[in-house]
Amino acid sequence: MSWVVWRQHRNQAYFAAVALAAFAVLMLVTGLQMASQYHSALTLCAASHSCDNLANTLSLESPAVSVLVTLTVAVPCLLGVFWGGPLVAREFETGTSQFAWMQGVSRTRWLTITLGWVLIAAAAWGGAVSGLVTWWSSPVNSLMQQNFQPSQFDIQGIVPIGYAVFAVALGIAAGALLRRALPAMAITLVVFTVLRLVVSEDFRSTYLTPITKTFSFVEPGRTFMPTGSYWLVSSGLVGPSGPVRGGLLGNGPTLSVDGVRIPVAALPSACRTLLFEAPSKTVGGFPSCMAAHGYRAVISYQPADRYWAFQGIETGIFVVLAAALIAITAIAVLRRDA
Amino acid sequence: MMASSDPAVIQTRGLSKRYRRVTALSDATITVPEGRISALIGQNGAGKTTLLRLLAGLARPTGGEVAVLGSRPSQDSAFLAGVGFLAQEIPLYRRFTAADHIRIGAHLNASWDDASVRQRLESLSIPLGQRVGTLSGGQRAQLALALTLAKRPRLLLLDEPVAALDPLARRQFLAHLAEAVAVGDLTVVLSSHLIVDLERICDHLILLAASKVQLYGDIDTLLAEHQILVGPAKDTTAIERDHTVVQAVRTARQTTLLIRRNGPVIDPAYEASDVGLEELVLGYMGQQAVRAPAHLTTIGEDK
Repeated sequence: MSWVVWRQHRNQAYFAAVALAAFAVLMLVTGLQMASQYHSALTLCAASHSCDNLANTLSLESPAVSVLVTLTVAVPCLLGVFWGGPLVAREFETGTSQFAWMQGVSRTRWLTITLGWVLIAAAAWGGAVSGLVTWWSSPVNSLMQQNFQPSQFDIQGIVPIGYAVFAVALGIAAGALLRRALPAMAITLVVFTVLRLVVSEDFRSTYLTPITKTFSFVEPGRTFMPTGSYWLVSSGLVGPSGPVRGGLLGNGPTLSVDGVRIPVAALPSACRTLLFEAPSKTVGGFPSCMAAHGYRAVISYQPADRYWAFQGIETGIFVVLAAALIAITAIAVLRRDA
Repeated sequence: MMASSDPAVIQTRGLSKRYRRVTALSDATITVPEGRISALIGQNGAGKTTLLRLLAGLARPTGGEVAVLGSRPSQDSAFLAGVGFLAQEIPLYRRFTAADHIRIGAHLNASWDDASVRQRLESLSIPLGQRVGTLSGGQRAQLALALTLAKRPRLLLLDEPVAALDPLARRQFLAHLAEAVAVGDLTVVLSSHLIVDLERICDHLILLAASKVQLYGDIDTLLAEHQILVGPAKDTTAIERDHTVVQAVRTARQTTLLIRRNGPVIDPAYEASDVGLEELVLGYMGQQAVRAPAHLTTIGEDK
């Protein structure tokens, strides 16, 4: 049976292997270059005690490669669309299910082995791409401390494996239900994209309760900001009578005070005039005014040491969803007429 | 009708299949004894494919019972090993070669006659290394039949296998089939909408019309049980009392009746003659087509 799966999908496997090899070569060459550049810059700045400022002065990534790395966010979706969508649907569409399922192998076994290999391949391929990206990004991660931000979080570590397995399972389930490859592929594309966005925008920040910190405007804010690659979930104002309307993630124009985003509309009017009328004095005048009116800044964030917990939780969520989709596929294939 | 004492390979009782609004097969009760080649005859949409798919375990019945080779059709390897099924559209992997299909079959079947399938394809000069999509319809059908036979099934279910073939390919296909039946303990059910396709090799008949089984059994027995009566245009109540009138065609001067006999016909006004298989089949199909006003039925009328 495994040989049959291989025979049916070997062209896709060859194509994927070639694409992965090309990507690996690119990652290795540019990654090694970047790592050595970073290390020599570190040596240099250590000599002049200017390493604190390195993130502002050193530019590591070549823009083209950087764009390509960012685009690997689409890899799981592509696997779902092109591997998952047609997998069962094509058998129904061409009627070959009636050939395959009338051989001497039970339909359960056919399904188990076919899905097993394709899901393993998706996990391995998604994992390989993510592994390369993670390794390639390590100097950038050290320098910029941004790997907890959604754009980096989604393409590094183990979550891409969860996404890949989920996307392929989604494609397979859609194909098994619709029995048409093209609609299954379209549905996979849409559902996967929407679900990923909803999870990363709305749910991820709630996996663990964010840490909330408030601090006065007259003290230097930077000392209050968390260290390492933390993820700033939101920031805003706390007034004398509690959190200000729109104090966390307000709409409209915002003002950045020591990295804390504050909605302009929420400022007390006395301080607002100070802000706009005497720009030269805002450095001293505005924070004092805010402090005098009883306002404090508030930030809500996920600390850097939760990075792997978040990776684990998110991977787990997508793997569980994938398992549910496989169960749906099994019902659609085994319980319905072929 | 079921005079044979052979064990039944197929036995159904009240077998039904309903889709949401459509009844594809209704209350089908049939028996096919071992070693028969059964012609499953019916017009398009009569339920032939549904019946074959129910027998193959590809579809589940919504009512009634079905036993194939002594067990209920299922998706298990034990059941699948005994049954070969060839769907109407001859589904094969178009981008794979015949040799690929042979290897797939060898991997997926515990019992696999690799030598015979290769030999058969060679004798038909079907290229092993060419993509199946580029083969002719006749070659594809032959390949599919050879693959289905290579797993050595005890029951072979073929859905309109010759419909798409030209007369020569049709002849070759049926010869190939007859040869396979002669060699092994094989029971075959093959469907067609035309009896003439299958008349030469079949010894058993299942007649479907409007999702119902109209007639089934050994062909010779069925022919012996039926008769054509030609007589004057007069009241046929007496005949209808003693026999089952399948079809009556009346003109101003004479009446032609297709009857299923219950004993000898003694009315001297009628001239009795034997019925041919095609006449029999058309008679039953005609009967189904316009059942209510039986007096207006004409022979061979389409549904």
